[in-house]
Amino acid sequence: MVTFNRRQTLGLIGAAAASSLAAPAIAKNRKVVVGALRFTSHSGSFIALERGYFDDAGLDVELKFFQAAQPMAVAIASGDVDYAVTAMSGGLISLADKGAIKVIGGALSEEKGIDGQKILASDAAFKAGLTAPSELDGKTYGMSTAGSSFHYMGSKVAQAEGVEVKFKPLQKVGAIIGALKSGQIDAWSIVPHIAKPLAGSGAVHIIGNISDYLPGYQVTTVFTSAKNASDERDQTKDFLAGFGKGVSDYNSTMIDKVGGDDGVNAMVDLIHKYVYTNRPREKAAPSIINGTMRINDGAKLNIASIRDQLEWFQSEDLVGKDITLDTVVDGSYVETYEG
Amino acid sequence: MADTSTSHNQSPPGPIEVRFRGGGFAPRSRRWVGVVVFVVLIALIQWGTQTGWISPLTLPKPSDVLATFGELWESGLLFKHLQPSLTRLVVGAALGASAGIAVGVLIGLFSHVRAGLVPLVAAIFPIPKIALLPLFVIWFGIDEGSKYALIAFGTFTPTVVATYGAVDNVDRSLIRMGQSFGLSWFSIVRKIVLPGAMPGILSGLRISLAIAIILLVAAEMLGAEYGIGAYILEAGALYDLERLFAGVVILSLLGVILSGVIGVIERRLLGWRT
Amino acid sequence: MDIRLESISHRYGDTEVLRDISLDIPTGQIVCLVGPSGCGKSTLLRLIGGLERPSEGRVLQLGSSPVGCLNPLTFVFQDFALLPWRSVKGNISLVLEDHGIRGAKAKATIEDVLARTKLSDFANALPKQLSGGMKQRVAIARALAVNPAVMLMDEPLSALDSQTRELLMDDLVSLWSRQPFTAVYVTHNLAEAVRLGHTIVVLSRRPGEIREVVTIDTPIQDRSAGDPVCQRKHDLLWELMREEARAADEELIDG
Repeated sequence: MVTFNRRQTLGLIGAAAASSLAAPAIAKNRKVVVGALRFTSHSGSFIALERGYFDDAGLDVELKFFQAAQPMAVAIASGDVDYAVTAMSGGLISLADKGAIKVIGGALSEEKGIDGQKILASDAAFKAGLTAPSELDGKTYGMSTAGSSFHYMGSKVAQAEGVEVKFKPLQKVGAIIGALKSGQIDAWSIVPHIAKPLAGSGAVHIIGNISDYLPGYQVTTVFTSAKNASDERDQTKDFLAGFGKGVSDYNSTMIDKVGGDDGVNAMVDLIHKYVYTNRPREKAAPSIINGTMRINDGAKLNIASIRDQLEWFQSEDLVGKDITLDTVVDGSYVETYEG
Repeated sequence: MADTSTSHNQSPPGPIEVRFRGGGFAPRSRRWVGVVVFVVLIALIQWGTQTGWISPLTLPKPSDVLATFGELWESGLLFKHLQPSLTRLVVGAALGASAGIAVGVLIGLFSHVRAGLVPLVAAIFPIPKIALLPLFVIWFGIDEGSKYALIAFGTFTPTVVATYGAVDNVDRSLIRMGQSFGLSWFSIVRKIVLPGAMPGILSGLRISLAIAIILLVAAEMLGAEYGIGAYILEAGALYDLERLFAGVVILSLLGVILSGVIGVIERRLLGWRT
Repeated sequence: MDIRLESISHRYGDTEVLRDISLDIPTGQIVCLVGPSGCGKSTLLRLIGGLERPSEGRVLQLGSSPVGCLNPLTFVFQDFALLPWRSVKGNISLVLEDHGIRGAKAKATIEDVLARTKLSDFANALPKQLSGGMKQRVAIARALAVNPAVMLMDEPLSALDSQTRELLMDDLVSLWSRQPFTAVYVTHNLAEAVRLGHTIVVLSRRPGEIREVVTIDTPIQDRSAGDPVCQRKHDLLWELMREEARAADEELIDG
């Protein structure tokens, strides 16, 4: 895609200049609501807003914060939110099937060699021999709900290891953490910025990486209402352009360290306005830095992973068997790839 | 008498029948009206979803909900979900209600217990029991223990309040009569206080058991693979409206059945009421 | 068994209800307590029955209770105090169960008292099916079942209409004539007092003191509504009570 290549080659200021040149072509200040969770993985939206990339794209963005991905998806369906980033889940596919939403791009993905989601074991289970995912047979595995990304990950890991696990739905991440710490469940998988501090406290142990089982796993996707995807193509493109710039700033600063430590510090300051706001900056900074994961440049989408997820949800009878990939994904906005 | 003279000018009014102004305010049994409301509502939704006037995102087709229900029945999943839920409901509510009745009677009978426990009960009554679920998981384990505890705890407080209120309302003259005939304390409690408090206890149970059903869904939020509540929560997470509604209908039916059972018990036990 | 009251005084908090009451209640006689409302006559009855403790003075039982007496001091209440969830039979067996009387012996007692109160046909009826007069007869049957030494009757006819009251008075008279019982009968109705009382104790308004003790020698089975002796006693009692009743009526509640 043209915008993608341009953003890759242009520097920060150049990108801003280029889009402000393009801006007069679009009506100014269209009001757009973007849903977000207070996670570092949503930094693309925060950066694009703070650094004016959305303004440059002619969008007047209001961030709306949610406690969980599920209500955010419902808010998109109801039209209260225009764009959001969240994990693929059965609920998302089901809403797509009802003609409410479309996946238009990718965000967080697993990549071999890059720090990604961790498989955790409770201390009790670890001491009893759960030191590797191959030992998961007969263990309990935490998840928010059936059809969540946790369910998918756990099931895929178990499948690869040829073991049986029992899934325990616990609704909220906080409840899963509590259950894992107290040994009520044996295992779980979660993003590194949550996994690492947990493991650091000694209450749980990291026993594997999701990327070893699901290389290229498209964890979160950018999605919007089906109406926006089909009728508001310009606005959707503009959103992706602004969001993409935020993402590339994030990747270049936090992973490639283009701006050195100063760049990282400035970025942490920016992200801290939205994430871990209840902690002082010096305590939030390590968590923000720990949580760094690569977000897909240009919001490109791993269509192979999406297909695999869809098929898994169907095989588990969590979503309708007749749902096709095209029902879920509108691949016309970003570069797609088979990873 | 002044107006007799004026009325003489006009012809005296003929006999007027007294206007009826009584009636009403007396609920009578019209069971079929409720059925008609249900049928009309469901037919309306069916028509709306069929024609697309109601989007599939807003409400599922009632016929699809029925089909989902049929699948549940045929696959045997219905009983796989019902059996653990009913067990949780029965065990939890039985524990909560019997403890509640026992504590309520003690509060009703002993001033010291009342002084000690009424503020405590008042303090724990408004706690949303769901908020305590994570704590219960730590205390009673993630399996059945925490679910029983949640339902028991939820039914306990309203039962206590209803019971001691009912004991307070037992006709004191009956208790005085028991004393005047030299009945033992235990006899007075068993033969006068408990039967006298029964109407209040049963109407309290009506509320407690409805709360137990509400809490069933909450209890199955944590670590339940099967159960009507788990089924509803899963359907909600998957945004599967047909399953969601099928589950909700099961809960409603459960509520209606429980209320009916209490009705039967009331008719059997409380036939003496005027 | 006689009952003797020795200078009974009673207070509720600062309110003096009864003052220095001494009285003998002889076996086989009906003693009526009359007085204006609020004079403490019902309180005095509860003191006699041991449901309350007097502030001062003592209530004494003289002599032993009759053979087979389960509950020497037995109340008959104004509001009947029947358990609504028990049948007529059940209400009577209630007071027998605690004394270990069950089965055939209980059945015989119940049948006997129901026959004496003309209730045999209603053994299985629930209180809600009975009229007020019937309910009071059940309460009287229940009192008879424990074979009391003294019946303590607290305005037993006050909740009934006047015709029913007449009928029940006749019943009480015939019960007493067949088998004389001892009773303390509280009432504010002078007609009842002159009809049923061997001795009529007039109490003053609060604090209740004994104003007068009137005896009527006419045997109670021979008294009738138009009896001149009874009428004279009635008028005498009314003279005694009129001023008290008016003053009591004009008193402020809690005043």
